Amino acid sequence: MNIEWYIVLSALLFTIGAVGILVRRSPMVILLCLELMLNAGNLALVAFSREVGNQQGQVFALVVMVIAACEVVVGLGLIVAIFRRKLPIDVDILTELRG
Amino acid sequence: MATTWAWLVLLFPLLGSITIALSFRALPSKTAGLLGTAAIAAAFVCGIVVLVTLLGEDPEARHHASSLWDYASVAGLNIKLGIYVDPLSVFMVLVVTGVSTLIHLYSYGYMQSDEGYHRFFSYLNFFVFSMLLLVLAGNFVLLIVGWAFVGFASYALVSFWYRRKTATKAGMKAFVINVVGDIGLTLAAFLIFRELGTFEYQDVFAKAPHVFHTNEWTITAICLLLLVGAFAKSAQLPFHTWLPDAMEGPTPVSSLIHAATMVTAGVYLIARTHTLFVLAPTAADIAAFVGLATLLVAGTIALVMTDLKRAIAYSTMSQIGYMIMGVSIGAYSAGMFHLMTHAFFKALLFMAAGSFISAMANKQNIDEMSGFGKAMKFTSITFVCGALALAAFPGTSGFFSKDEILAYATDRGGMYLIFTVLGYFGALLTAIYTFRLVFRVLPGKPCKEAQELIDTGHLAHETPRNPATGEEEDTDVGFPGAEHHIAEQSPGMKIAMGVLAFLALFAGFVQVPGVDETITHFLDPVFADSPLAAIVPTVSASWTGLAIGAAISIAGIGIAYWVYILRPETPAALIRRFRWVHTLLVNKWYFDELIDILIVRPALAIGRFANRVFERFVVDGLVTGTEETVRGASGVVRAVQNGFVRSYALLLIAGFAGLALYFLIVQS
Amino acid sequence: MISVLLWAPLAFGIVGLFLPKRVVGWWAALGTVVTLGVAVGMVAGFDGGSSGLQYTVDTPWISGLGVDYSLGIDGLNLFLVVLTALLWTGGTAFAAFRGQERPQLFFFLMLLAETATLGSFLAQDLLLFVLFFDFMLVPFYFLFGAWGSDRKDGPTAAAATLKMMIYTLIGSLLMLVGAIAAAIISADGGHLTFSIAAIQHQGLDVDSQRWIFWFFAAAFLVKMPAFLLHGWMPDAYRAAPLPVLVVFSGVLAKVGAYGFLRVVLPLFPAATVEFQEVVLIIALASILYGSVMAFTQTNLRLIAGYSSVAQLGFITAGIFALRADGSDGAILQMVNHGLVVAPLFIIVAILVERTGTEDIRKMGGMALRAPVLAALFLIVALATLAMPGSSNFIGEFYILNGLFQAKIVFALIAISGVAMSAYYALRLYQGTMHNRGPDGLMSREISLRDAVVLAPLVLCILALAFYPQLILHRTAPTVQQTVASVTGGKAPEATLAKSAEPRSDEGWTAYAPLNDTTGTPER
Repeated sequence: MNIEWYIVLSALLFTIGAVGILVRRSPMVILLCLELMLNAGNLALVAFSREVGNQQGQVFALVVMVIAACEVVVGLGLIVAIFRRKLPIDVDILTELRG
Repeated sequence: MATTWAWLVLLFPLLGSITIALSFRALPSKTAGLLGTAAIAAAFVCGIVVLVTLLGEDPEARHHASSLWDYASVAGLNIKLGIYVDPLSVFMVLVVTGVSTLIHLYSYGYMQSDEGYHRFFSYLNFFVFSMLLLVLAGNFVLLIVGWAFVGFASYALVSFWYRRKTATKAGMKAFVINVVGDIGLTLAAFLIFRELGTFEYQDVFAKAPHVFHTNEWTITAICLLLLVGAFAKSAQLPFHTWLPDAMEGPTPVSSLIHAATMVTAGVYLIARTHTLFVLAPTAADIAAFVGLATLLVAGTIALVMTDLKRAIAYSTMSQIGYMIMGVSIGAYSAGMFHLMTHAFFKALLFMAAGSFISAMANKQNIDEMSGFGKAMKFTSITFVCGALALAAFPGTSGFFSKDEILAYATDRGGMYLIFTVLGYFGALLTAIYTFRLVFRVLPGKPCKEAQELIDTGHLAHETPRNPATGEEEDTDVGFPGAEHHIAEQSPGMKIAMGVLAFLALFAGFVQVPGVDETITHFLDPVFADSPLAAIVPTVSASWTGLAIGAAISIAGIGIAYWVYILRPETPAALIRRFRWVHTLLVNKWYFDELIDILIVRPALAIGRFANRVFERFVVDGLVTGTEETVRGASGVVRAVQNGFVRSYALLLIAGFAGLALYFLIVQS
Repeated sequence: MISVLLWAPLAFGIVGLFLPKRVVGWWAALGTVVTLGVAVGMVAGFDGGSSGLQYTVDTPWISGLGVDYSLGIDGLNLFLVVLTALLWTGGTAFAAFRGQERPQLFFFLMLLAETATLGSFLAQDLLLFVLFFDFMLVPFYFLFGAWGSDRKDGPTAAAATLKMMIYTLIGSLLMLVGAIAAAIISADGGHLTFSIAAIQHQGLDVDSQRWIFWFFAAAFLVKMPAFLLHGWMPDAYRAAPLPVLVVFSGVLAKVGAYGFLRVVLPLFPAATVEFQEVVLIIALASILYGSVMAFTQTNLRLIAGYSSVAQLGFITAGIFALRADGSDGAILQMVNHGLVVAPLFIIVAILVERTGTEDIRKMGGMALRAPVLAALFLIVALATLAMPGSSNFIGEFYILNGLFQAKIVFALIAISGVAMSAYYALRLYQGTMHNRGPDGLMSREISLRDAVVLAPLVLCILALAFYPQLILHRTAPTVQQTVASVTGGKAPEATLAKSAEPRSDEGWTAYAPLNDTTGTPER
């Protein structure tokens, strides 16, 4: 199969994720969109790895998955913490980090 | 051989000073005073030995240099701790140590009840050491060291009574003006080094005639810079304002430093560097004219001063004017001779004045004094001896020395006749102002203090007051002591004054034209290289000069007698008639005010400006400005961090997109 | 031996952290005395005729970057090391006599500062120098900030210290960049090294020299501090605890001047010649401005502080006369100035204890019952104003002579600073010791414990006054070499002394054009 298809799919997934992050306000959904973007990246990595013919890209993909897992843990932890404090689950209202 | 003894001359006063300073708790004050006097006497004896050694040598070979160790010799500057012994320096050593010994003896009695007795003698010994260092120095660097040391000693002794505000102020003034002089000397040394590559006297004087053309700008500049040093130290115009103020010091100090020795250092300097001045006749003439101007200005001021010590101080300035004039026009040995006789009679005058002031319970105003002739016979007689010598009464020492300078000026002729004529006018002024003091203080109805002395034999006692401001003082450390001492009751003072009175009257006979001329013969080898030394007035010309001088002196004394004794109402009438002249003179020709306006105020104004405006707006402004810039920039950056996660994401994505776009464009 | 000298203070400091409060001050003083002993021993064993480095240590430290642990002593730093050890002994003993809050930490920081300062004097590796130079600030930051005094009408100690940190850090960071750039550019793709000698040997091209010169100059001029960069000084001096100020003002300012001789002259000769007059103008401005400020200030610390600005101006001017005599004088003057300013601050501390104020207008008459204190102060004051006969005079004489022979106009302006120094030094002395004191001010003699600290320092001043050759003789060969690296190997004396042969019109004013010089590496 031609590599272009994989790349196009990856780009589509990435764009969906990015747009999702920009337009949605729920941290939950944003987290999902992030996962989507990471996996788009993974897809591209694995595709290129096959194309080039060595395993480096696949190793990277594994690393990215681990990072994604960590990130989800932290992110969900934060969301649970926000929920417990009865704060609104809306990233536009949670702006304490303003400089 | 001679140099070993010369080193000893230096060593004794230094040791004396250090010993007295370190043992101020252990030593009884009388012992300290005797120790100080003995140290100087020892130096005098060593000086005599040097003299004898020198006289035993061939006149041409009477110069020796010696050095102890490399003081600071790297990078081509070869500065050794070295001395130079020749007839000129030995002459100065003898004058300095001789007069100093007597003044130490005088101080031993005069300062007896002062709380700072040890400090006084330590400083006084240190001063003698510095002065000897100055005259014995073998190179320009050590000369500057000695030059500054005497300046410091002068400062320390002027502000000896350091809790008098007037004294500390006067000390500061003396010191700062003297530092200006030091700077002149230092610059001269730099310039000499640039041209000749050495600081040593012998090398400089040997090389100078081969390197410089006559009146070349460099040699003129060197001489003018030397003159700045000489004028500042010798209180010549326009650096003279410190000397009258320096009379705040104890009277022995005025006698030693501000009459006999330190203030004549400028004369010594010009004589020492005469080789350079011969190459720069312009500078020498300038020096002579400044000397002339000083002698006239100071002479006129001395006519109206009512403060006894200040009047004598102005007289000192005026007499140094003669000396400066003398050594600048080429009358070297005459100038040095006048230096010597002046040291004798001026030291004596100050000592006698000190005795009067003690009797007046520290008041110095001659308006309040009268009738001391009866009350204090010894002091009065010595005072008159000194006054006669100062007024150049025929036969006294001042008579021979002053007229020798003027005879030389006549003999040199041409423009130099100005110096003769105005010099004789100055001599007239001298006679008048000197005997003005005599006639105001000695005769007449005894004043309250003199009467008390006659009646009870005790000195008057009053609440001690500052003679300058009338402010009440106590008698603790830093103020004059509780008891005062006069020559009549203190043998030490009496001996010192007696010896000096003898010298003031008869020292002139060592140098009588056509008879002995000892000083000239002794100093001849030093000045042999100067073409000006070849000008020698004939004996008959000298005696003519002496005759004129005698007439003028007697005339001056006569005028003073007429004005102050026969017609005592004349001074007041004259003051009424010539009010503006009197105002000018009383205000000392407004030199203090001029310096204040030209230098002191601008400097302080700049300082205030720097403090109030510059420091706040420019220096701190730099900081504040930087801070504002950083703060403004950080404000911009901060605005981006609005806390909206989605806007961060947008920026991130936009950034990446931008980068990707950039690389795409670069690629294609 | 040289490593012992460098690390001994720190070792004593670390041990001191675990000692009881009562003895830690004495332990620290012992540490400084030991260091001083080692330093004096080094002077004794120093070969004065040689211009090269002695007692060298050189082991690779970060070999990948070419950074070596390289120390050495030559004529430039020999007496500055002794001065450092001496003043730290004085300052530490003075502090120990007084007792401090949290003494373990205080003395640890003091000794840490000594190691850092010694390190910056001893380092022969550019990066090592920069690291020690920056590291000096750390202990002083805490000493000033934590033990300093807050002002009612001004910034707190912490704020003043912060201001100082910002000033000096900016300079230091520029210097760090300059150091790295110098090493990389001079290596030119070859083996990277930070050794000062090696970089000097490899040389730098003129364009790089120009900007790196200013990066280094910025750090050094701030440290001194020079005119316009002295904004941190008044606040920091007023905040600093006095025993710390003794060493700070006595030694740290000299690191800047020393840096010019150690780093700038050998590494950037072309730029040095090019910017000679600019630096001289800064130096002159420092002299005049410092002097004028010193005689209008009323705070004792600031009079001493601004007089330091003026003195450092003289030292900089001496170095940038680019003649051996000027630089000889500069090194002598660094030692001299350290020796006078440290006792000056000790005396200020003593006076402040007696009067409870730092305002000279509220003082006076302190000499009354304190003749010994007055005598010691008088000697220090006279040395401060470079009284001829003191070693300070010889220092200034050499500096001004160098400047006079090199750039006559600058010398004429600079020498006016001498007259002003006479005024402000005497004013300081008179204002406190003489005249009548305000009512109720009691004059008290110096206590024995203070005399023990003060008298040896004054004795050093006196000893040097009799024999400044002690220092000059040992510094001269190295200085000659350093200056020759700028002026192109020509002995400066050769250009003067017209003696018999007619004088050419330039000669003494101008240096040989750069392209003639052999010692200037150009690539």
